[in-house]
Amino acid sequence: MKFNHACKLILKNLFLIFILTSGVHGNENVNDKVKKLTLELRCMTCQNQSIYDSDADFSIDIKKLVKQKFHEGKTESEIKKFLVERYGEYILFRPLINFKNLFLWLFPFTILAIVTVFLIFSARKK
Amino acid sequence: MKRIIVISPLIILFIICLFTLFYIIGNKDPNKPPSALLNKNLPSFTSKSLFDNEIILTDNDLRNKKIIINFFASWCTPCKVEHPLFFELAEQYPDLYILGFNHKDAAKDAKNYLKDEGNPYTFVGVDKDGLIALDFGVFGLPETFLINEKGKIVYKYMGPLTDKIIKDEIQPRL
Repeated sequence: MKFNHACKLILKNLFLIFILTSGVHGNENVNDKVKKLTLELRCMTCQNQSIYDSDADFSIDIKKLVKQKFHEGKTESEIKKFLVERYGEYILFRPLINFKNLFLWLFPFTILAIVTVFLIFSARKK
Repeated sequence: MKRIIVISPLIILFIICLFTLFYIIGNKDPNKPPSALLNKNLPSFTSKSLFDNEIILTDNDLRNKKIIINFFASWCTPCKVEHPLFFELAEQYPDLYILGFNHKDAAKDAKNYLKDEGNPYTFVGVDKDGLIALDFGVFGLPETFLINEKGKIVYKYMGPLTDKIIKDEIQPRL
C-alpha cells in the first residue's frame, strides 16, 4: 500500500517536473527564435542596428509582436512576410530572393564572370 | 583599335555600375524608405473615439471618401509643427475626411493637446497600444497617409508636413 502511494507520488512529481521544464524549455525556444529573427530585422528608426540590439520604441514593439506571433504558432517566414507587407523589404537586412532582386543577387557573379573572361583573354594574348 | 575592343567589356561594366549606383542612391533618403503600402488598400482597423468610448470607427465607415490619416501624439513635438496645416486643409477641402490617430498617448494628455492646439480632425481615433500604427507600417511620428475614394493609399509622408509638401504632393492628389 505504502509502496503504491510512494510510486504515485514519484510519478506525480515527475509529471509536474516534466510540465514545468517543458514550459521553460518552450519559452527558451521561443526566445531563441525571437533573437534569431530580430537579429535579421533592421531597426527603422536607428542607424544600421538590428531590432534585437535596439532599445528604440519601434524595436521593442516589433520584438513583442514577433514573440506573440511565434506563440500563435506562426513560422519565421510568415512573420517576415507580415512585416515586409507593412514595412517593405527595407526591414530585412538580407534582401529576399525573388525576381525583383534577381539583378542584385546575380550582379556579383556577372562581374566575376566578365572579369574572368577578360583575364583569360588577356592572359592568352600574352 | 584592338585595345578598345579588349577593354570594351570593362567600359560597359563601368557604365552599368554607374547607372546602378545612380539608380540606388538617386532621390532616395535612407531614413525615409518608400512605404510598402503605397497603392495598396487601406488596412482594416477598428478604433474608439478619443472623446467617446461608445463611438467606434472602422475602415468600412470610410468607403468612397477622400481621407487624410495622420498619426499624432501629445508627446510628439514635430506633430505640433504640422498641426495648423490640417486646419488649412479642412478649410480648403470641406469634403476631406481628416482622421487623426492618437498614438500611444494618455487620453487626458491627448484631449489637453487638442484643446490647446485646436482640433482639425473629423474623427480622432485611439491607437493606445500602437497596433493600428503597426498595420499602417508607421515607425515614427508624425506620419500622414492620403487615401483616395477607391480606398487605396496614394501617398505617404514621414515627418511633419510642410506647406511645400501640401502644395506639391497632397493638393494635386485631392
